[in-house]
Formats: sequence, structure tokens, C-alpha cells
Amino acid sequence: MQKLLPYLYIAPAFVVTIVFSFVSMGISLWASFYHYDAFAGAAAFAGLDNYRRALFADDSYFWLSLRNTAFYVAMSVVGVVITALPLALLCQRAERFQALFRTLYFLPSITPGVVLALVFYHLFGVWGQLLDNAWTALPALAILGIWSGAGYNMVIFLAGLTEIPRHFYEAAEIDGANRWQQFRHVTIPLLRNTLVFVSVMTIIGSFQVFTSVYIMTQGGPERSTEVIAYTIFVNAFAIAGQMGYASALAWLLFAVVFVFVFIQMRVFQSRRIYDE
Amino acid sequence: MSSVSKRRGTRWALVAMILGAIVMVYPYAFMIGSSLKTRKEFAEARSSLIPPRYQPAEVLAHLHGEDSARDWPGADWPVYQNYVDAIRYGQVDRYLANSFIYAVLITAAQLFFNVLAAYAFARMHFAGRDLLFTLLLSTMMVPPAVLLVPNFMVVRDLGLVDTLWGILLPGFAGAFGVFLLRQAFLNIPAELEQAARIDGCGSWGILLNVILPLSKPALITLGLFTFMGSWNMFEWPLVVLSNQDYYPLTVGLSFFRAETSSDWPRIFAASVMGAAPLIALFLLAQRYLVGGISLSGMKT
Repeated sequence: MQKLLPYLYIAPAFVVTIVFSFVSMGISLWASFYHYDAFAGAAAFAGLDNYRRALFADDSYFWLSLRNTAFYVAMSVVGVVITALPLALLCQRAERFQALFRTLYFLPSITPGVVLALVFYHLFGVWGQLLDNAWTALPALAILGIWSGAGYNMVIFLAGLTEIPRHFYEAAEIDGANRWQQFRHVTIPLLRNTLVFVSVMTIIGSFQVFTSVYIMTQGGPERSTEVIAYTIFVNAFAIAGQMGYASALAWLLFAVVFVFVFIQMRVFQSRRIYDE
Repeated sequence: MSSVSKRRGTRWALVAMILGAIVMVYPYAFMIGSSLKTRKEFAEARSSLIPPRYQPAEVLAHLHGEDSARDWPGADWPVYQNYVDAIRYGQVDRYLANSFIYAVLITAAQLFFNVLAAYAFARMHFAGRDLLFTLLLSTMMVPPAVLLVPNFMVVRDLGLVDTLWGILLPGFAGAFGVFLLRQAFLNIPAELEQAARIDGCGSWGILLNVILPLSKPALITLGLFTFMGSWNMFEWPLVVLSNQDYYPLTVGLSFFRAETSSDWPRIFAASVMGAAPLIALFLLAQRYLVGGISLSGMKT
């Protein structure tokens, strides 16, 4: 009994976690080789048909949605880094108001994404029909993503900044380095871990963008905001009998995101050592 | 650097941060302002933050007995009318209660199961421990958006579509929580545990009397993250639920929007009610969250 105890302790967490990741991925891998309906279950064996259809068929939106997602991710990463890092530097100098600003900038991170999407749906309307134009709709969604992620990542950068020992700046000052040179040669190199961390987390997060698309544009206009998570959702739950195809899409998304997840795991591990 | 130029730098930083804060707060002002408008006001003055009938000039005119927007037909509503209607006709109270129940149950389950697992991984010796822990951690490699369809298939195979269990079960434990708690437990000196053992504590006694009291910050951080994540979850309940009475607030809002297509002030009243509880919780407990963020980098 005493020997079994540890296994009993880990069993519930372990089973739930494994079932809703590896087991479910296994089932969907199996399903991706079938013509499969969400409610009726598996029908005919399809071989690689679902993958072929996603990758090569004329009516496939996989590449289009992957391209849209890539644009969205690129805008988000650049946008988040060039807003959150300066904000952190400014916030650091705001001294006793720092806590107040941190609270205000953090608000979007604790607001349901649906609420933010509903509000920005109108703000983008007030500011000139940004969501009705195929050229501006995706950047508008990215603006929402950046706006809502800026404060959160500012807090991460702030944590990174406070870890930089003061004497590096004192030494740079003695050497006659001006503010820009200090930033360029002390802050940036020593913040490298945090920069990578923020970038990778933002990439993985924005790869999965769904709520704002679902609420604000439903993939339009002219499929300009059809992103991969939305394509999967539509194929799985809005069109009947497509579960196998949607599974294939999910696996393709996994293959794409995995590169970044792999980097994340490395960074996560190195951060741990850094923290201890 | 001279203290004068430093102070000037601080002042510019303050100005920039205040401008930024306006950008951050403006959408909230827009949401609250819109939730107080009548439909007519919203259609005609969508971009004004204060409802036309409460603009200072109109209020003064009304007080002086002159013609004012407050006298528009149908405009003479109480400020909170949309909130009342959102509850009365949109069952927002039910959605809020659902969200609350889901968040509480998921948080309680996460804490309980993750504590058990983390304790075993941190303090017990058993065959395959490191392998199992690595396996558990590696589940974090599969992002939620990828898992949507696969997890739906599991829930469907278990016959849990459109049930409470279907929404809750996948959130009952998480690799990140186990990881976070294990780290906290490992930082507790083993001598304390030995002392408790000499005093006659079993592993339950040690867990309850030594480990948990000393890991409060980690437990609170995990609890808050889980609560907020569950309150904000959208995609999962959206696909699992079809019974409207089970909707959490997020799904309710998106449904509400489709249902009452043009009644935006009422939707924003519901949005305010959906966002307020978490903001209140955040204001009460932000030091735990801010501490946890740099560790986690997690946002649902």
C-alpha cells in the first residue's frame, strides 16, 4: 500500500492531463485518416485524403489561413515588443506611480477576450470601418492583440529589468556611455532572455488567435482574417462530417507551432535555472 | 548624471505613461459609457463617452426646465436600465452564476489534484518518478488551439458533450500547476518535514500542517490564474455546450450579441458585468498575480 501511495497521489492529475493532450491528439491523428463526422463518428477510411485536401486542393483555405496567421503573428510580435519594452523602461522611471500604471496597463489581461472584441468591434467602426476593408481588417485585429498584450508583457520586461544589477549601469556611466549607449550595450544584451521569452510566448499565443476573429470578422472581409484556428473551428463544428479533415488541420497547425513550442521549452528551462 | 536632468526624465516618463494609460482605459470608458446609453443615443452618438442625455449642457438645460436630450421620447431612462434589461431579458445573471460555478469548481479541483501530484513528485520516491514528471511536463507542448478538436472528440467519446463534466473535466488538472507547486514544495527544507514525522505526522499530516501553510503564495498564484483562466474561457464551452442554460458569460455574450443583433447598449451592460468581477479580484490580489507572471508567461 505504502508503495502505491505516490501513484495514487499523481493519478488524477496525471490521467486528466495526459488524456486531454497526448491521448486526444492520438485519437485525432487516427481520425485524420478517416472521413469522420462530429456526432456520427468514423465512416470510411480516407488514407491521406484529408491531408492532401488541406495541402493541395483548390478549395482548401489552409495556405491562405496560414499566411493570414503568419502576418498576424508577425505584426503581434513586433507590436508587442516595441510597445511593451519602452513601456517597461518608462514605467521603471515613473517611480512611485509604477504600481498604478502597472494596474491600468494590466486591465486587458484580466478582461474576457469576448468583451474586448465586442468593444473594439465598435471602436474600429468609429475610427473608420477598419474591419470592413480587406487590407485593414487583419492589422486591426493585430492592434487589439497588441493593445491587450502590451501591459502583460510590460510586467515581464519590468521583472527582467529589475534583475539587471545596478553596477553595470554605474560602470557604463563612468565610462561615459550616454543613455542610448547604456540601453544598447547594457540593457539589451542582459535582457536577451526576457526578449526571447516574450517573443516566443507572443508567437505561440497569437498563432492561436480565435476569439477576436469569431466575434469581430468571422474570417471576412474576403477571407482576409481567416486564421488557422478559425478555419479549424469552422470545419470541425460548422460544417457537418468534416471532423477528420479538421483533425488533419489541427495536426498541421501543431506541426507549424511545434517549432516555436520547442524553443519555448528550451527558454522555459533556462529561465528556471536563471530564477533559482 | 545630474539630478535635474534625471528629474526631467522622470517627468517625461510620467507624461508618456499617462498618455499610454489613456489609451488603455479609453475602451473601458467607451464600454461603460455605451452601457448607459439608450439605443437611439448609441446609434446617433456612438463615439461620445457620456450619453447625450447626461452631457453637462443637457443636464443644466433640464434643470432649468429648457428643452434637453433628457426629454427625448424614451430617453428618460434610469442610467442602469440596460443592466436591468440585460438580466431580465438576457439572463445575464444566470450566465454570471454559471461562470462563477465553473471557475470555482475548476480552481478547487486544480488546487486539490495538483497539490497531490506535486507533493508526490517533490517529496516521495517511487519507480519512474522522473520519467512520469517529464511526460507530464511535455503535455505543455501542445497548445490549446491545437487541442480543441482532439479534446472535443474525447469528450464526445465519453458521452459528455453538453454536460457540466464536459466543460470542467479537461480543466481539472494541469501540468503548469503541478510544475509551479512542485517548485514551491521543493523550496521547503526537508528538516521541517522530518521534525513533523518525529512528532508523529503521516504524509497527510505533513502535507496539511507543513507543506501547504508554507506554500501559500504559490497556491494563491495558481488559484488566481486558474480562476481567471476559467472565467475567461470561451472556445471550449462554445464547442462543448449547446444548451443555452449552461453557457458561461463569455459564450452568453457572443450568443446575446447574435440574438439581440442591434441592442448594443444592453450588450455592453452585460459586458461590464462580465468584466467587473475579475477586475475587482485583480485589484484585491494583484501582488500575487504580478509575482506569478514572470514565472508563467501564461495567458489564456
